[in-house]
Amino acid sequence: MSPVPNVLRQLAVDWRLVLMGAVLVATALVFNLLSGGLFLSPENLYNIAQQTAVVGIVATIVVLVIVARHIDLSVGSVMGFVGVLIATLMYTAGWHWVEASLAGLAVAIAVSVYQGALTAMLGVPSFVVTLGGLMSFRGAAFLVADGKTQPVNDLFFQRLGGGFDGAIGVQASWVLAAVLVAALVLQTVLRRRAKAAYEVPNPPLWLDALVAAVPALIVVGFVATMNAYQIPSKDEPQGVPIPVLIWGSVALVLSFIVHRTRFGRYVFAMGGNPEAAALVGIPVRRVTLMLFALMGVLITIAAMVSIARLNDGTNSLGTGMELYVIAAAVIGGTALAGGSGSILGSVLGALIMQSIDSGLLLLDISIGLRYVIIGQVLIAAVVFDVVYRRLTGDAS
Amino acid sequence: MKLKTTLTALALGLACAGAFAQVVGVSWSNFQEERWKTDEKAIKDQLAKLGASYISADAGGSPEKQLSDVDSLIAKGAKVLIVLAMDKDAILPAVNKAKQQKIPVVAYDRLIEAPGVFYITFDNVEVGRMQARAVLAAKPKGNYVMIKGSPTDPNANFLRGGQQEVLDAAIKKGDIKIVGEEYTDGWKPEVAQKNMEQIITKTGGKIDAVVASNDGTAGGVVAALSAKGIKGIPVSGQDGDHAALNRVAAGSQTVSVWKDARDLGRDAASAAVSLAKGQKVAGAQSWSGGEKKVALQAQFLKPVPVTAQNLDLVVKAGWIKKDDLCKGVDAAKGPAACK
Repeated sequence: MSPVPNVLRQLAVDWRLVLMGAVLVATALVFNLLSGGLFLSPENLYNIAQQTAVVGIVATIVVLVIVARHIDLSVGSVMGFVGVLIATLMYTAGWHWVEASLAGLAVAIAVSVYQGALTAMLGVPSFVVTLGGLMSFRGAAFLVADGKTQPVNDLFFQRLGGGFDGAIGVQASWVLAAVLVAALVLQTVLRRRAKAAYEVPNPPLWLDALVAAVPALIVVGFVATMNAYQIPSKDEPQGVPIPVLIWGSVALVLSFIVHRTRFGRYVFAMGGNPEAAALVGIPVRRVTLMLFALMGVLITIAAMVSIARLNDGTNSLGTGMELYVIAAAVIGGTALAGGSGSILGSVLGALIMQSIDSGLLLLDISIGLRYVIIGQVLIAAVVFDVVYRRLTGDAS
Repeated sequence: MKLKTTLTALALGLACAGAFAQVVGVSWSNFQEERWKTDEKAIKDQLAKLGASYISADAGGSPEKQLSDVDSLIAKGAKVLIVLAMDKDAILPAVNKAKQQKIPVVAYDRLIEAPGVFYITFDNVEVGRMQARAVLAAKPKGNYVMIKGSPTDPNANFLRGGQQEVLDAAIKKGDIKIVGEEYTDGWKPEVAQKNMEQIITKTGGKIDAVVASNDGTAGGVVAALSAKGIKGIPVSGQDGDHAALNRVAAGSQTVSVWKDARDLGRDAASAAVSLAKGQKVAGAQSWSGGEKKVALQAQFLKPVPVTAQNLDLVVKAGWIKKDDLCKGVDAAKGPAACK
């Protein structure tokens, strides 16, 4: 028996995500209180948005990999390898950033497809394949430039990582907010219309309006905050940082793929029950390969943002990132057993992790205690997940 | 029959060579890393100058293999060993075996804590002092941020200790206030960047100087500062990374303390030959500052602080090409080395 009332269940709302959001808000409020109002200052929120982007971008696709009952431990190493490669092509070889990034993309896809093929075609567990990859591609990252740090000096490219000129400005940010709010309204109207057409009862209008208003308010609030942050030596406020824009776009595109394409449904079907998926004729191998190829694309994007943010390609880039990425997915409600998870959840998961990390830094908590706390948060998230699934009778 | 004669002759020849020239056996932990190639060349050159011969083995990152490497170096007639230990504890049986055969051991760059070992490395406390000195000279008063190294690396605390020695008086006088201090997990530049961003937010951007413990973390610090529009404040580093020297030339980093691996190789080779002859090593001192407080003979080399004033040093030493050093630097406004 479920404690959640039926009316609420009928809504197109993932209550799990709402709870995650509530956790995030609670975390922020506590830190804000402890830091004397620093945590919720526009500058700090701007920091956190930027600091989370790289992990967030990779976490969106790792959610799908985990949903499909695979794992990728090599994400940090491959990102480091591709990042150093792009930086080297730009700095040492003197390539334009577009060419260098395309070359990086080609290499990333080749690497991911190689790992994916071993998993999909030969059935080698992805844990083992990517564990090997975790080591070898870290080594490859060293070999690319003999371990030398490669500066990224292209001013346009640097914007991809945020930084001084790395935001879209006030006006463009408001336009973006308007477009997103319009899309939310349109989506609600279309859904109500479709339900009416199929004679499915619609929830009361005020409830639907509320469901659309909450994300709309979040969008407007976010944009207003980003527009409130001004670097002291600049004439204009920053607006939405470009890395966050990239992260948001990636999350939207992947959500679309998950909900609206055959590929997305196949991934969830494979994760839910691989045998059944194969029996009903889902091309499991091809879908797995495509999934890994998509991974290569997103790792390239993350690598670009990452070297642009640091203004350097270093051979240690992304070390240990796999843990943060997987943790973000798990905190965001992705079941490690596969079959369930959401992109938006990973966004919240990554934000929760980074908020705690950055918040503890603001409070001057020592590095040891910080790790203890972050580790326990991860466990708490999984405990919450188990309890929630038991209470709501969610099987997967 | 003929083969046997040849072999005997060969053995005799080897034995003779051993009697006349000192054979120095070098056990490398992992030759894959770029920097050890520089060290090897310096050791070889110096040994050639001293009339000693060089044999070596590479453990390829395996502590077990390094044990058998040392055995085979001794079997090949090494009269003295230079050991870059992969694992400072796992190497002890090999060191003891060498000691039983009266073969001196030089612990190269990484400490091996066993009685009788000669330890040679750069003075990390001095590196810390040099970093703080350079920053202090550029900014004698103001709010300082200390970006420390990895919490798991003992060197991080040696560096921080050296920095404190130099800054202590100014801190007590109230000229300098440390407004932020953070370890950098794994010396990772991106971690240093994130930590720096949070410190900037915490202090409202009121930062006058940053003492960063190496060039990687300095890179993260400079990225964080420039993203917040803070330019031209002193930042320290160490290692002589090409990217960092480029920053020194461009003015966004104040100092990179440079440990010339060729000095280390040269002095280690000289020390090894002296030890093999049973002589004292020039410049050696007694030291017992390791974890287990074992009393050792040690030699600490002085690093060089590279600033905009003496940048030509690294070019002349062949460490970096002028083009790499001065990439993107305006020749007219840049330091003398880029003119």
